[in-house]
Amino acid sequence: MTRRQYWTGIIATVLALVIFVVPFVFIAFTAVKDKAQASHLDFTWPLQFLFWQNLVDVVSTRNYMLLLAYFNSSIITVGAVAMLILFGAMVGYVLQRRQSRWNKVIFGCVLAGLIIPPAVVPTIWVMQGLGLFKTIWGMVFIQVAYGLAFSVLLYRSFIATIPRDLDEAARIDGARPLQIFLRVILPLLKPVTVTLIVVQSIAIFNDFTNPLYYLPGKENVTVQLTLFNFQSQFSTQFNLLFMNILLVTIPPLIVFIFFNRQIVAGMTAGAVKG
Amino acid sequence: MAEVVLKGIRKSFGAVDVIKGIDLTIRDGEFCVFVGPSGCGKSTLLRIIAGLETATGGTLHIDGREVSKAEPSERGITMVFQSYALYPHLTVRQNIGFGLSLAKVPKDEIARIVTATAATLQLEKLLDRKPKELSGGQRQRVAIGRSIVRNPKVFLFDEPLSNLDASLRSQMRIEITELHAKLATTMIYVTHDQVEAMTMADKIVVLNGGTIEQVGSPMELYNAPATPFVAGFIGSPKMNLYEGKLAQEMGCQTYGIRPEHVLLGAEGRWQGRVKHVEHLGADAIVHLDVEGLGSLVARTTGDTGLRPGGDVWASPQPGKEFRY
Amino acid sequence: MQRSPYPYWFVLPAAVVFVTLFLVPTVASLWFSLTRWDLYTASFIGLDNFRQFFSEQNLTLGLGNTVIYAVLTSATKTVCGLLLAVLLTSGIWGQSFLRTVVFFPVLVSTIGVGITFTVLMHPTKGLFNVGLAAIGLHGPGWLTDASLALYSVALVDLWKGVGLATLIYIAGLAAISPDYYEAARIDGATRVQQFWRVTVPLVQPATVTVITLSLIGGLRSFDLIWAMTKGGPGFSSDVLASVIYKQYQAGFYGLSTAGNVILFALIATIILPLTWWFNRKEVDL
Repeated sequence: MTRRQYWTGIIATVLALVIFVVPFVFIAFTAVKDKAQASHLDFTWPLQFLFWQNLVDVVSTRNYMLLLAYFNSSIITVGAVAMLILFGAMVGYVLQRRQSRWNKVIFGCVLAGLIIPPAVVPTIWVMQGLGLFKTIWGMVFIQVAYGLAFSVLLYRSFIATIPRDLDEAARIDGARPLQIFLRVILPLLKPVTVTLIVVQSIAIFNDFTNPLYYLPGKENVTVQLTLFNFQSQFSTQFNLLFMNILLVTIPPLIVFIFFNRQIVAGMTAGAVKG
Repeated sequence: MAEVVLKGIRKSFGAVDVIKGIDLTIRDGEFCVFVGPSGCGKSTLLRIIAGLETATGGTLHIDGREVSKAEPSERGITMVFQSYALYPHLTVRQNIGFGLSLAKVPKDEIARIVTATAATLQLEKLLDRKPKELSGGQRQRVAIGRSIVRNPKVFLFDEPLSNLDASLRSQMRIEITELHAKLATTMIYVTHDQVEAMTMADKIVVLNGGTIEQVGSPMELYNAPATPFVAGFIGSPKMNLYEGKLAQEMGCQTYGIRPEHVLLGAEGRWQGRVKHVEHLGADAIVHLDVEGLGSLVARTTGDTGLRPGGDVWASPQPGKEFRY
Repeated sequence: MQRSPYPYWFVLPAAVVFVTLFLVPTVASLWFSLTRWDLYTASFIGLDNFRQFFSEQNLTLGLGNTVIYAVLTSATKTVCGLLLAVLLTSGIWGQSFLRTVVFFPVLVSTIGVGITFTVLMHPTKGLFNVGLAAIGLHGPGWLTDASLALYSVALVDLWKGVGLATLIYIAGLAAISPDYYEAARIDGATRVQQFWRVTVPLVQPATVTVITLSLIGGLRSFDLIWAMTKGGPGFSSDVLASVIYKQYQAGFYGLSTAGNVILFALIATIILPLTWWFNRKEVDL
């Protein structure tokens, strides 16, 4: 490392701490302050560390709404990601392996899914017709519909690297189509699958807009909406509001610590190949 | 144990005819090699027999049963791929037993068959490894093991040795030949390498441009090639072939003489100048420039004293000339 | 008869979900945008919704804001992303820590970020203005000044999104062979010349991706704006997506859907020519 690289690094680190780290430290500080100090909104060292008390207060607010929200968000995330993995891999597999004029149609749908903004009110209309509006399952299917394009693209480009000989060997071994897919192809997709699980979980867990439209109702609250709801409720209790922000930030942070590599792979693989 | 009969097999991809009508009978227990240059349709033909491609026309019978439309797994065949196509996520044991587990064979029965097969192929110590931990030759044996447990009527091999280095290739040639001797099962083997064809086959099928050029035993093809193509393809070094005016002067369309049938001496039919000598040890390959003929290759004994630039006379060995 | 080992029914589960919850509403929106609609009965009113959209000032303002916001965030993310990526691949001290720090905001809840920055941008108590006051400057009303609110939100968007652009550029830079830089150095190119003559042209695929992704994201963006200003003060920071939501809340479903159609048309008229132009340029390379 040259002197130049050393000093540039030092300066860049100081700037990054100010620009990117201070806001998070601010969140953490405010989250543990008492009500009076938090209302000053300033970036100061907490006079009191009320971590536990603030945590309990936030969690118990509005009849333990935050726990319900975590429960709902978890179900939506797990359900939607499971379907995105399975359905996305199946489409990507057929799209990559079988060449026909249908491919153009499927590919067109994938691009449409990436570009077109969802038509909100007509979607609510369709969901009402199917009895899916304001239901957790409806939300799961919405996340699947909106996330499919990305899954399909990622799987398709990875499946292209799996030799077709393997499918044929399995066929000769007597595997039926579903068996080829489940017992030979799907296990080989593990690296992308991990990437997709991580990236999509974070996206769905952090989603605010779609639950806002399609999942109104107190019993259906999701994590991001609690934050939004508490913004008015806690207008005088910034310590609790920021404790809530802290709680919402922790799951992605944990995922990021463990799956840094997969996130980077997913974000760039999906993107660079376009 | 089965006879394979192809009648009028055709295959086209869009407007391109890849296989242009093939009639062929491969007898029970025969080791039959499809050989030809790349793009001649040999692999496509093998894949049609396997059921991985559907023929555009014609019929295919295996063991007396019409299987043109049957699933690959219902044809009583098995196939060893050029890439071996071992399942990367499964161990050797699971790879060999994969087909049996699909067929819902009881677990202890699978274990017994896999162990027995591994023993015949000397794979016992490798059973719990993954394919990527194996050498090329070991992978080849696992691929063969996976085929054997299916107890097939016909073995299909698609250029199985082309990913191996030269010494391993000749060893695997012997192993496959021994396997054939032991199992006495019909085997169909595709290669572009005429040496493999000559050393392994009971019957060679030479393919070119989607049609059969000639069918015969290795020595039939060597001694009596039916067409100039076969004459040029079988034998190494390649036969000297002459067309056009030169051939007409010798009373034919194409005139051919194998390098090993060109006699060099102080006198003869053609006078030539030595361009280059390749010393192989026991033999030497002499490249000549012959006036009125062009280049001529001759095979002679290794202790030849010929040097580049020297003059020499060449003559065809009587009775070994080919005229088409 | 032999069947394909890749049967089309594999596509079916995905297709059912995608068609019912995405394609059908998208197609239906074309019709409902031409109606007065209360979710149960729709009466055809021609292009009235669109006329209203383009005649009411607060709605047209949203359209203009959408374009400003998208172009601004996309351009700044592209430039900052490239510069950061070059910096973070130059082997400086603390490189991997810096990559992590720059990327992490991408993964954090947009609402959480929005609320945090709303507090930090508080006109009197917020850290922004307190910090500026410390060096003797009088900070603006970041979110309370109608002429500034949209740009303040765009600044936060840049803060949150630049990590993704940087990440894509880092991947793009890794794909450039070091040979080009060595050849350029032998030819006597300075660092700045290397950047303009080698890096910028050869990293173009990543640039295309960053611009396209951030433009689409910027045109559709809603949650950050909603968390920070709710389109205010007044309508000064409204964008199409927030207008769509407001009209939906007010029960003007036909009008809201017309907003959706306009947003779709806007994205199409910006993205499609851009993609075409990028593709053509790539052929030239």
